[in-house]
Amino acid sequence: MADTDSFLHLARPLGPAVVGAQPTTAPLNVVIQPSAIFSILDHSLRRNADQERVIGTLLGTRSEDGTEVEIRNCFAVGHTETQDQVEVDMEYQKQMLALHLRANPREVLIGWYATSSELNTFSALIQNFYGSQGDGTWPHPAVHLTISTDPGQDIEARTYISAPVGVTAERAADSAAFIPVPNEIRYGDAEKSGLELISGAKDREDRTTGVLTDIESLERAIEEVLAMLERVSNYVNSVLDEESPPSSALGQFLMNALALAPKVDASDVERDFNNHIQDVLVISYLANTIRTQIDLSNRLATAALTTGPADGLGGNAEGGQRGGRDQRKGRGQQNRERE
Amino acid sequence: MADKLLKENPLRAVQVEALVVMKIIKHCSQTFPTTATGSIVGLDVNGTLEITNSFPFPVVDIPTLDSHHESTAASNFAAAAPRAKANTVYQNEMIKMLREVNVDANNVGWYTSANMGNFVNPHFIENQFHYQKDINERTVAIVHDVSRSSQGGLSLRAFRLSPQFMAAYKEGKFTTESLQKSNMRYQDILIELPLTIHNSHLLTSFLHQLPEKPRTGELEFPSNLAALSQGPNVPQAPLYPNFDSLDLAIDPFLEKNCDLLLDSIENHQTENNNYQYYQRQLAREQAKITAWQQKRKAENAARAAAKQPALPEDEWTRLFKLPQEPSRLDVLLNSRQVEQYARQVDGFTASVSAKMFAVKGNLLPGDVQ
Repeated sequence: MADTDSFLHLARPLGPAVVGAQPTTAPLNVVIQPSAIFSILDHSLRRNADQERVIGTLLGTRSEDGTEVEIRNCFAVGHTETQDQVEVDMEYQKQMLALHLRANPREVLIGWYATSSELNTFSALIQNFYGSQGDGTWPHPAVHLTISTDPGQDIEARTYISAPVGVTAERAADSAAFIPVPNEIRYGDAEKSGLELISGAKDREDRTTGVLTDIESLERAIEEVLAMLERVSNYVNSVLDEESPPSSALGQFLMNALALAPKVDASDVERDFNNHIQDVLVISYLANTIRTQIDLSNRLATAALTTGPADGLGGNAEGGQRGGRDQRKGRGQQNRERE
Repeated sequence: MADKLLKENPLRAVQVEALVVMKIIKHCSQTFPTTATGSIVGLDVNGTLEITNSFPFPVVDIPTLDSHHESTAASNFAAAAPRAKANTVYQNEMIKMLREVNVDANNVGWYTSANMGNFVNPHFIENQFHYQKDINERTVAIVHDVSRSSQGGLSLRAFRLSPQFMAAYKEGKFTTESLQKSNMRYQDILIELPLTIHNSHLLTSFLHQLPEKPRTGELEFPSNLAALSQGPNVPQAPLYPNFDSLDLAIDPFLEKNCDLLLDSIENHQTENNNYQYYQRQLAREQAKITAWQQKRKAENAARAAAKQPALPEDEWTRLFKLPQEPSRLDVLLNSRQVEQYARQVDGFTASVSAKMFAVKGNLLPGDVQ
């Protein structure tokens, strides 16, 4: 997102130098998981009416050498900001951190976020608090993530770390040099299906969507593929008609893609297809039969006694028969699987 | 008054915020294959339960003797977590904290992860019963199926226990007789509520930038083949639609499903055998009682003939003990589970056969009808 700005990192700025500890100077890369951003956006919507921005704590993991930081989780922290004073609920931050760590013992404190891209004196103050010794992230630098939530503009994520700066010792507490570091939004395979569904609602007026069944999502994917093929063939046709400029690289790419179609004998395809489709259909059939049998078995179990008194014999014979049937079915299924 | 309101306006649907979907997915896939559970908070608006936030339950390191049992022990622990006392405290504390940052501080249920739809078990029932009975009647259980979601479509479902089942479970009686009386079937245990996903305006705006902003203006043609696969103009795959559902690797999924189905059938078999055993036992005892009664009758007749006072005829209740009927609850749950698997297979084969015909049609162009 913020990758439009390009910057070169020669060395990471050093934290407060301490005798005995050798801070690393490797560049830092920040990876943000979408769920953290979702959470920040949600918090931004829930801010008090008079608040310009809200802040919160970032949690995540740090790679062993400290060069890559992954923001996985975050929680909101209450704060009040006036013209000349800022107040962060430290007690709340501490308690909440403890609660979060109980549920996610592998995550550590990374830094903090704010929902405005502005950096001011208060930012420096809070940054110094998060990067401090004791409760802070020290000796690692605290990461500051800003998500701009101005209406009518793109949502932009920027990440910073800071270096101490200050003319005198008193001024050093509320000043810091924020240095931008690169960040990227990364999502795993598990989150993909969730994101797919969520973004399915992005063009809808009511911003809601239902959960799709397997066949529906297949239909959508196929429709999309067909639309893409249509676009490509339109382009190819217009090149043939000498309406669009040709590109040999694109042509090569399309040829390579077409060459991926496997060369198999028609009879092989036919045979494999028939074998496989039969397997699939048999499994489907068996599953349905089992469902019916279970239903029947349950109905018999409760219906048996309505016709006569509770004699053990009737239920017995019926139970045995049922069991026998189930066993046969089970065996049938196993055979099928072995094939 | 409140009760009346509840009865008139039952929960009809569940609306989940995108944030909750992401949080649940993250938590469940992180702990997979161990079961993960957590709590959800939200508001009830005219019969639609709006779920706006969630948080996981704390994990506890269980000291284990050998590594083999570790995952099952952790799984069991996590499955029991929603009704554990320590977690109720944790939950209340967390909700109190969330209230301070304007999150809807109202517990509306819990979530759990599942593997191929294997969530219908006593743990699940007990947790949801605990929630619906002790905490709030209007609570739901959200089930996220991790392995089905990796197949393409997200699997997220909302369940509640039916009032019928609640009443029966409260009494703890699941005998044939009580089932006949309440006319409850295994399909009536769980009620599934329709689930929709809702995005905030801010999020919608953000999603339009994911995975990246569309470029404006004409693009230049790539100079060579390599430029197509790298360089700034290479687009990332869109989030939607997800082409994972076009994947043709179907066998592992079906195989796993069949395995689970077989397991369930075996369970059913065991339960049936238990029931048969009970019935044999019952018949034997009853035969003994009848024999005893006849003997006593004959004795009494003899004593009457000898003008002696008759012996009491209902002494058998003290002498013989009828066996307890096994609970039908396990059978019911198992049946529900089998139904779940069967429907899963059904839905899956539908899309699989479509895909297979598509492949065949593609490889044998002459055959297309």
